[in-house]
Amino acid sequence: MPGEPITRRNFLWVGWSALATFFAASAAASARFLFPNVLYEPSQKFNAGRAKDYPVGVSTRWTKLQRVWIVRNEKGIYALWARCTHLGCTPNWFNDQGRFRCPCHGSNFSPEGDVIAGPAPKALWRCKVELASTGDLIIDKAVLEDRPGFREGHVYFVDV
Amino acid sequence: MLDLDEISKKVYETQVWRSIFRHSPWKDAPRDRMRHIVDNIWLHLHPARIRPRAVKVSYSWGLGGISFMLYLILTVTGVLLMFYYRPTVELAYQDMKDLEFVVTLGKFLRNAHRWSAHAMVLIVILHMVRVFLTGAYKKPREFNWGIGVLLLTITLFLSFTGYLLPWDQLAIWAVTVGTNMAGATPFMGNEGPFSGLLGMRVNNDVRFVLLGGTTVGASTLIRFYVLHCVLVPLVAGALMIVHFWRVRKDSFSAAPLEADEEKLDVWPHLIVREYLAAALTILAIFLWSVLQNAPLEELANATVTPNPSKAPWYFVGLQELLVYFDPWIAGVIIPNVIIVGLVAMPFIDVNPKGVGYYSLRERPLANTMFLSGIFLWFLLIFIGYFCRGPNWGWYWPWESWLAHKPLPPPTWDLPAWAGASLMIFYMAFGMAAPRLIGGEISWSRAIGAFVALFLLAVGGLKIFTALAAAKLLMLGFFIFIFFLLGFLFPQRYLKGLDLARYALTMSLILMMLGVLLKIGLRLGFDIKYVLSLPQFNFNI
Repeated sequence: MPGEPITRRNFLWVGWSALATFFAASAAASARFLFPNVLYEPSQKFNAGRAKDYPVGVSTRWTKLQRVWIVRNEKGIYALWARCTHLGCTPNWFNDQGRFRCPCHGSNFSPEGDVIAGPAPKALWRCKVELASTGDLIIDKAVLEDRPGFREGHVYFVDV
Repeated sequence: MLDLDEISKKVYETQVWRSIFRHSPWKDAPRDRMRHIVDNIWLHLHPARIRPRAVKVSYSWGLGGISFMLYLILTVTGVLLMFYYRPTVELAYQDMKDLEFVVTLGKFLRNAHRWSAHAMVLIVILHMVRVFLTGAYKKPREFNWGIGVLLLTITLFLSFTGYLLPWDQLAIWAVTVGTNMAGATPFMGNEGPFSGLLGMRVNNDVRFVLLGGTTVGASTLIRFYVLHCVLVPLVAGALMIVHFWRVRKDSFSAAPLEADEEKLDVWPHLIVREYLAAALTILAIFLWSVLQNAPLEELANATVTPNPSKAPWYFVGLQELLVYFDPWIAGVIIPNVIIVGLVAMPFIDVNPKGVGYYSLRERPLANTMFLSGIFLWFLLIFIGYFCRGPNWGWYWPWESWLAHKPLPPPTWDLPAWAGASLMIFYMAFGMAAPRLIGGEISWSRAIGAFVALFLLAVGGLKIFTALAAAKLLMLGFFIFIFFLLGFLFPQRYLKGLDLARYALTMSLILMMLGVLLKIGLRLGFDIKYVLSLPQFNFNI
């Protein structure tokens, strides 16, 4: 009410609430502090060399450096990100068995990236592939797709 | 002649000595023994006198004290290692090699640090088992049991943050898998269910904060270093202070309590046991560290995963569990249910008997279920550690990893309607049956009826289907375990409990047995998921 003096109790309520708010906001600000604004991580885009150099089948040429398999089928080329969709280990390609097998929890994938066995819930990611004017393949691991029907076309496949 | 008594007497009487130790010259009278405890900042956490039953080694096995001693060894060796170790991607592994081959005693200190960490995890688990079996978590010690459960998780988290630091292959891949589990957290991880609701991406979710980036790299190393060396030890220390203080305040659980018991002086009766346990702990760690070197794998490589890639023994059970469920279920929900279930234990177990002594007879349900859970956890560890080889394939412990194995068989999901009905039936039947069936079922009759029904069912299945005998036996084994632990035990010992506690206990039991049954379905019948709803990442 106007003109009513502030009671000691109300004054303290306001004071202590202000202090509690300050601590809560400080905690929130400290949490925000832990999210970095700038990352010093390598670029997700790389040049995989001439598209014509890839024979039909799965190529492991870039697995150790870029964590990508380049796969050519009868129609063209797509790139699989060599990161298991279960918990992120790098599966190995077994040419004689025709499948990727993960060393961490035993997921198996077909050359198309589909799950054959093991716990992985989703198919392997396919990366964006482009054909440069030089005939080089440009792979971008930041643009990914795993849905059947979408992953076979658009930017995830080049017809060479 | 050197008269030691004379010298010490002179020393004790000097002003310097008297200024450090407040109590009067030592006379070994009860009053001096008491003063020795209460006048000493380090010892005063003890009571001055204690019941004889509480100092019996065969009661507590000194496990809590040994855990603390290991924590002290870890602090000392850890601080020493910090003088040489630089937490950067370029230098960390090099410093590990320097510690191994160049620094005087570097290898020994690293061994001691690693082995103490392993020993601490084991001893803390055993301490928890001991406390459970002696009912020492019951009123008025509920809160301290909760603190203890937190300390167990912190012990595991300290190990987890510690093993990134060597920056070897084990380090980077264990942490990759561990933090990807965080990335599968519902709502807060970018690969978890409902991640879209809060707009989670790879560069703003809970995994991103842990890593300080989108992959395990330089910022992850420094983050884990700070967590491992500063933040988590501080939290652990604070909780230990509360833990010890409450042990003292809640008094020792050891029973039976006798009227006018003659109490013992803590100095020397308890203190000497503590010092002896500490000395033996140091001896064991030192010996083991001289004989056995801590593993160090190749330099971390963010693109190549070792095959197979195995977590340390205490996490390999979780790694094996991840084979059977979606990551957010196995890696987030199940561990959290275990932790919350353990913390809630004193509030749902209202049986007043069995506090302060080991007794299966007076606490048949609690002890059986708890030991089954511990057994299941160590079974998973056993499978992961001894039965898994390249590509996480199944290799018996006596088989060579070089042996060629047939490819894993294709797995299959139950149709959603069947899976959903099966799970609803499992929960509904499991919840209702033990409570609705009254009377006392005699063990022999129940088991006899079960075996008869089972043989009939096996006969039928054998005639009408092509299931192999081994699979039928396996099926029978799992159903028998469920029948015994999920029906007979609760029917006998649980049905009298109030509804809320009954429902909570029964759902914990059903979840534990559900994990076991799912393992059986995958290993025996190649069922990938009983119920799979991909739109919610619900794969169970």
